[in-house]
Amino acid sequence: MENNGENGKKRVLFVEDDEFLRSLTVKRLEKEGYDIEVAVDGENAISILEKAHPDVVLLDLLLPGKDGFEVLQTIRSTESVKTVPVVIFSNLGQKEDIDKAKALGVEEFLIKANFTLDDVVAKINKLTGRA
Amino acid sequence: METLDQKNKRLKEIGRIPINPLIFWGVVSAALTTVLLLIVAASGYISGIHWLIFVPVFAYLVIMGLFLAYISRLQRDRDQLLADRLSEESHRSEELKKLNQELESYAKQLFDKDIELTMANKRLQSLEQAKSKFVAVTTHQLRTPLSAIKWTFHMMMNSHLGPVTDEQKEFLRKGYASTQRTIMIINDLLNVDYIEAEQLDYNLVSIDIVELVENIMFEFTNQAKSRNIELKFLKPTNKPPAVMADPVKIGMVLENLIDNAVKYTPVSGHVTVHLSDARINSARPGVEIIVSDSGIGIPTAERDKLFHRFFRGSNAIHLEPNGTGLGLFIARDVIEKHGGELWFESKEGSGSNFHFTLPLFTSKAKT
Repeated sequence: MENNGENGKKRVLFVEDDEFLRSLTVKRLEKEGYDIEVAVDGENAISILEKAHPDVVLLDLLLPGKDGFEVLQTIRSTESVKTVPVVIFSNLGQKEDIDKAKALGVEEFLIKANFTLDDVVAKINKLTGRA
Repeated sequence: METLDQKNKRLKEIGRIPINPLIFWGVVSAALTTVLLLIVAASGYISGIHWLIFVPVFAYLVIMGLFLAYISRLQRDRDQLLADRLSEESHRSEELKKLNQELESYAKQLFDKDIELTMANKRLQSLEQAKSKFVAVTTHQLRTPLSAIKWTFHMMMNSHLGPVTDEQKEFLRKGYASTQRTIMIINDLLNVDYIEAEQLDYNLVSIDIVELVENIMFEFTNQAKSRNIELKFLKPTNKPPAVMADPVKIGMVLENLIDNAVKYTPVSGHVTVHLSDARINSARPGVEIIVSDSGIGIPTAERDKLFHRFFRGSNAIHLEPNGTGLGLFIARDVIEKHGGELWFESKEGSGSNFHFTLPLFTSKAKT
């Protein structure tokens, strides 16, 4: 896994439109020593994607404007970030959503309400080779 | 009364008698006879035997009379039979026409019914879709704020947001548990909707069942301790082989059974999870898990209804008013989809044992 962040920290691109959920998650991941790049919607995520060059993307699905699926599609078709692991972190969880995400290529599909931020940290640690 | 078949048979027989050639040969033979008789009569006249003239004429008239009578009788019979048949046929075609009309009207009625059914079906489908949509949207809307509450409690009780006292931690833990329970209820509702739409997605992999049971039991440590309930796991001395299962779904089933056992067991009781080898349907190798408790038990009269959705035992409602009555319905569906079985035995007032089996992982099995 590539090291992108300052001081050798692993970088997580976190795409989430809900401000409160975002602040809690950022706080938890920063405490764990990650370098967090935040995007508040789909457009925002796509525009900073290549520059941020994350080690992991933590992606919500329901976003204003371009949704998480579109962001995922862009990631999978952008040469420089094509193989970056993506964790869907959403409260959608119907079969069609999961199937659609899996078809586009995701590492994990986590339903927010069913996990704690400690679980998310554990998943990201695993994906960045820290676990 | 002669039947139509008999008449047809007779008609066929009469039809075989060649009436027209008969008449033709009748006429020819009559002409020949006339000539012959003229010769006889002439010879009689010449020879002077005058009465000889009358014999052939008389004989001729008698023969011709008989012949004509026979022919005309044949003709009459045939005409009569033909007429009968015609009237019979027209009667039949009348009947057929009537039957046809009836059939057509039935067909029309059926067609109308079919349209009605199709329309009713469409209405049902759209209602079903609306319900699913409603459930999905509502659960999503509820899950987001609940996630925020759950995460906050969890972060605070684990001191991720700064130090907390033990007493504060206990309050936060209770807040977290309540939120978790609410999320479980929402998930139950959503799962039932998925089960009904046959949309529950199974991700069957090889799992370590001992580890899964231990993880789930760990979640209940505090809850059991707070009510002085002894929570025990009896596992086999040898590590059982891997099981073929969806860890999230089986975790949900275990959570549900252990939660019920702890919830419905009075203070200072005990809840034991027992794991052993088993044969599913006395054939397929698997494991059996028994969750037994010293709880309130299930009234005999309510046993048949226990796996009905939304059903709640009368003594259970009394103890825990906030349940959905969906947990066991979902649990049984999940276990059966895994190819296992789920059953129970219970004695009201002294406890219940819930059993379920899961097949072992085989490399041949499809995921």
